[in-house]
Amino acid sequence: MGLDSPFEGRLIRLRAREPEDAPLLHAWFNDASVTEHLSMRYPLSHEQEERFVSGASVTGYFAANFAVVTRDDGRLIGGAELRDVSPENRTAILGITIGDKACWDGGYGTDTMRTICRFGFEMMNLNRIELDVFAENARARRVYEKVGFREEGVRRQAVYKYGRYQDVVVMGLLAGELALD
Amino acid sequence: MLHAWAQDPDTIRFNESRYPPSLQAMRPRAELHPTYDHARLAVVDRESGALVGDVALHTMDPESRSGFIGLLIGPEHRGRGYGTDATRAICRFGFDMMNLNRVELDVIASNERALHVYAKAGFRVEGRRRACYYHAGAYEDFIMMGMLRGELTEEG
Repeated sequence: MGLDSPFEGRLIRLRAREPEDAPLLHAWFNDASVTEHLSMRYPLSHEQEERFVSGASVTGYFAANFAVVTRDDGRLIGGAELRDVSPENRTAILGITIGDKACWDGGYGTDTMRTICRFGFEMMNLNRIELDVFAENARARRVYEKVGFREEGVRRQAVYKYGRYQDVVVMGLLAGELALD
Repeated sequence: MLHAWAQDPDTIRFNESRYPPSLQAMRPRAELHPTYDHARLAVVDRESGALVGDVALHTMDPESRSGFIGLLIGPEHRGRGYGTDATRAICRFGFDMMNLNRVELDVIASNERALHVYAKAGFRVEGRRRACYYHAGAYEDFIMMGMLRGELTEEG
């Protein structure tokens, strides 16, 4: 064989979501330091989280929504998805969260980005992957640039959170632009 | 009428109506009541009352007071200022009646007429989504445009 697994990066692996993931997700998405740079605003109930996980546990072209686990011990550390997939345009919107704070440095985010993008291009045959990032989220923007995303625009004052309007940067990555190391 | 317009090549291209819609599928769209989420409105000539277009203002995030605009002027009514006037009217409605802070839209890069109309009304180019849209055998870019409260121009 000798083929690289399409689900695996250097540090992480993508797998389908399982009902047992719900409690950790519930903890992360009720932690303001995790959701600070996400569009989420409201406290989440266990029921909401369980409903989300059971809805997201069937994967496919229009449901490329995965749990991110460490390669060495299979520990759940985050999530990654390609949503709003358009088969005619071969485009998708990328969303990623590293919820486990112990993994915020050390390359887990970068590795997750490369793995989900490689999956999108090599397994789903996408031509373009796009994401939105709050302009103030300098760390995320650096990671996205490092893996090859280009800044394509700035939606001025597009999101209101924490008492102020924030700009949202749109970044895009076309097939062939992914930087793998 | 909306069904007839959906057969026009420029409408298909610039308004991303990829598949020919059935009359039956168009009917509920035409009958929808405008709401904060989907303010879909007919554009009619002020004097004759004739239907000349279709405009929609969608909101997804009321906390951010931001809306997204889509506009269609019927092919036989283009080039007479309806587009500019309808753009200003829907923006004014968004700011003054829905209390929005921002409206935005995407324009296919080759749609120069629309880019001109939106710029004239006060929209600013905020970016370019590359290869976002596939049509007639080729990928096209989207020009991102946005307008903040206070930037709408009523003249010219």
